[in-house]
Amino acid sequence: MLRRNIRLRREYLYRKSLEGKERVLYEKKRKIKEALAEGKPIPTELRNEEAALRQEIDLEDENTAIPKTHIDDEYANATERDPKILLTTSRNPSAPLIQFVKELKFVFPNAERINRGGQVISEIIESCRAHDYTDIILVHEHRGVPDGLIISHLPFGPTAYFGLLNVVTRHDIKDKKAIGTMPEAYPHLILNNFKTKLGERTANILKHLFPMPKPDTKRIITFANQSDYISFRHHIYEKHGGPKSIELKEIGPRFEMRLYQIKLGTMDQSEAQIEWVIRPYMNTSKKRKFIGD
Amino acid sequence: MAKPSETGMEALHHLKSTDPPALLAPSPTLSQTARTASQHLFSCLKPYAPKSPFDQLLTDGFDAEQIWQQIDLLSQPLLSTLRRQVKHLEKHPEESKIVLKKENEFLDGERKILEEKETKRFDDDVDDDDMDMDMDEFDDEEEEEEGGRRESEKGESEDESGEMVEGKGGEGIEDKFLKIKELEEYLEEDEAREYGLDRKKKKGELKLEEEEEEEEEEEDEEEEDDDDDELDDEYEDAEENARYEDFFGAKKKTVPKRKSSLSNGSDEDSGLNDDGAVEKKGGLSTHEKQLEKLQSEIEQMEKANLEPKTWTMRGEVTAASRPKNSALEVDLDFEHNVRPAPVITEEITASIEDMIKQRIIEGRFDDIQKVSSLPSTAPKEVKQLDENKSKKGLAEVYEEEYIQKTNPAAAPISFSDEQKKEASILFKKLCLKLDALSHFHFAPKPVIEDMSIQANVPALAMEEIAPTAVSDAAMLAPEEVFSGKGDIKEEAEVTQAERKRRRAKKKRKFKAEAVKRMTKKARDNTALLNHNEGNHLSVPNGGLFS
Repeated sequence: MLRRNIRLRREYLYRKSLEGKERVLYEKKRKIKEALAEGKPIPTELRNEEAALRQEIDLEDENTAIPKTHIDDEYANATERDPKILLTTSRNPSAPLIQFVKELKFVFPNAERINRGGQVISEIIESCRAHDYTDIILVHEHRGVPDGLIISHLPFGPTAYFGLLNVVTRHDIKDKKAIGTMPEAYPHLILNNFKTKLGERTANILKHLFPMPKPDTKRIITFANQSDYISFRHHIYEKHGGPKSIELKEIGPRFEMRLYQIKLGTMDQSEAQIEWVIRPYMNTSKKRKFIGD
Repeated sequence: MAKPSETGMEALHHLKSTDPPALLAPSPTLSQTARTASQHLFSCLKPYAPKSPFDQLLTDGFDAEQIWQQIDLLSQPLLSTLRRQVKHLEKHPEESKIVLKKENEFLDGERKILEEKETKRFDDDVDDDDMDMDMDEFDDEEEEEEGGRRESEKGESEDESGEMVEGKGGEGIEDKFLKIKELEEYLEEDEAREYGLDRKKKKGELKLEEEEEEEEEEEDEEEEDDDDDELDDEYEDAEENARYEDFFGAKKKTVPKRKSSLSNGSDEDSGLNDDGAVEKKGGLSTHEKQLEKLQSEIEQMEKANLEPKTWTMRGEVTAASRPKNSALEVDLDFEHNVRPAPVITEEITASIEDMIKQRIIEGRFDDIQKVSSLPSTAPKEVKQLDENKSKKGLAEVYEEEYIQKTNPAAAPISFSDEQKKEASILFKKLCLKLDALSHFHFAPKPVIEDMSIQANVPALAMEEIAPTAVSDAAMLAPEEVFSGKGDIKEEAEVTQAERKRRRAKKKRKFKAEAVKRMTKKARDNTALLNHNEGNHLSVPNGGLFS
């Protein structure tokens, strides 16, 4: 297992190093394709290599056509299997936090919750890898109010750190009958306003926590971004009358998330490279928006 | 009168010496002395008067009224000059000393005359009781003063002017025709008629105020001031309407004030000022009130500026330089560089839900898409059972098996697809190459002999990919390489007969070849000829007609 990991890591680094050359090649092929499609003469710098490149173009299929970047590489094969999530908390959680984590277990399909006890993070992650989990989610709190969420993709994937605000749990709504039970069908996802590169990356991380749903499921989970604050909402919809009438009923917890860090390793790798970190002390930070509009 | 001045003086003295009761009863002698006295005074005053119609006072055959009129005529023009002079002397008190020194003796004489004149006035005109009393008191005050001499001239002039002023209550603009006092009286009557206000009451109030204010002053002064004020009040509007004094200042009040100040020195100035202020309160306009407010504000601000600033206004303040726990009370304002957390309102929730509904209607979700991956193993070949009866007989099947065992190369190929065959051959070659690269001890597979043509190539070139040495040993066996026949003899070994036989053989062969060549040439020539001739459309020899 260790050697396999080492090999995979070496492959990854090799592919990362090849990226530059591959990109150049890809660009050339693209130019030729364009020229051919439009009927224009092939650009002069490619004239010598044109024949060889043309042959390669003919042999390409959809997999090889797009150059692979190392950035979302972790999720390249993630769609082959359904995600398997482990949920846990920080140490000595309070009762409201335990309730919140219980709710989250129903939000994410195929999720398992374990008690934290006195385990060390690295232990947890090792055992997760051994049992083939794809993601691990950690929830932190402040005096009963959940205030932190850490999502770590498992083989050696990225870790995203979020801060939670304005948390409203299902337990707060006392009327149990009104809420009812939470449905457990695979939900549809709506990711709104994730426009920048960082936004796309975050969207990817959040997307791959959920399995592929059936097309006709009634459960919707929304991550809506507004000026770097991502709102999480969980609804069930019903179509009463014609095609245009939709009735939404909100179930599940509701909170705002604020991304403050993305690391390129798992939680226990403290020396992993930081992909992005929030910088609130900059003078221009008030004007800039990192995730979307 | 031979010596008018002396007679006059005597007359004055005489008047002074008479008993007061005697003055009450009219007597001709007394009257005559009075006339002479007044004549004397008139002539004394004459040189100072700018212009007067009379050279001397005409007393014969005139009654009191007419005499008074004459005196009036004389003294009227004097008033303004005297007033001016008084003001001037007020401003420059040192000049008065100079003046005084010159006219000391003259003044002494004059003073006495004045006293006598006072008494005369008292006895002649009973109406002016108050004023005379005033004058008496004023005179007494003058005598009390330290610089009595200094004031004497002023006293004389002021006496006159004071009387006049008391009587008139105006300055500058007044003359014979326009009397401010009369104007004010008229206006007051009019307004009282219109508004029905209680003027008298107000005047009384004012008077009280003033009495309260004047603590420092002497009784005499107080009385005098009261009287002054009474007089002033009569002529002043107590109802706080805009009047002449508001714009041009209450000049009447300041004049008696000034007089009293002059007589009493600077001690009572503040009292007088307060007096003045208090008096002003009664009749303030809105503009004046605003000014007052502004003034008070300005004073406050100036006071505040002088004091040390509060700690919040000072620059860098440490905990030691401000009072304890004071930072908790103040609302400190920091500049935050982060956008504040969003407050979730109804509108935001509604907008999110609208967006969700829109997406549902469109069916545009962001679920994960299954990426089609390359199959890592080839699809298994499914062998279908052929249910048709086998075309080959059993014997033939056994035959094929036997051939396969003994001579594998001769066996018929069992592949269904030509392309598959080709592909499998290519793959075998590839595998062979990879094996050669990756194994330390490579042993190639045994070559199956099939009837294939052997090329005359060195053996190593066929078998080894990475030749370590070059060898020129051919794959073919020597007898295959050799392309000769039978026994080969060296040149040295060949016998004579043998040589002859060889030469004859060679000749025969050469001849045969030469004949062949000749016939071939002949045939070619004819063909060429025919062809050439064909072009010219000539009929060949063996043409149609032959």
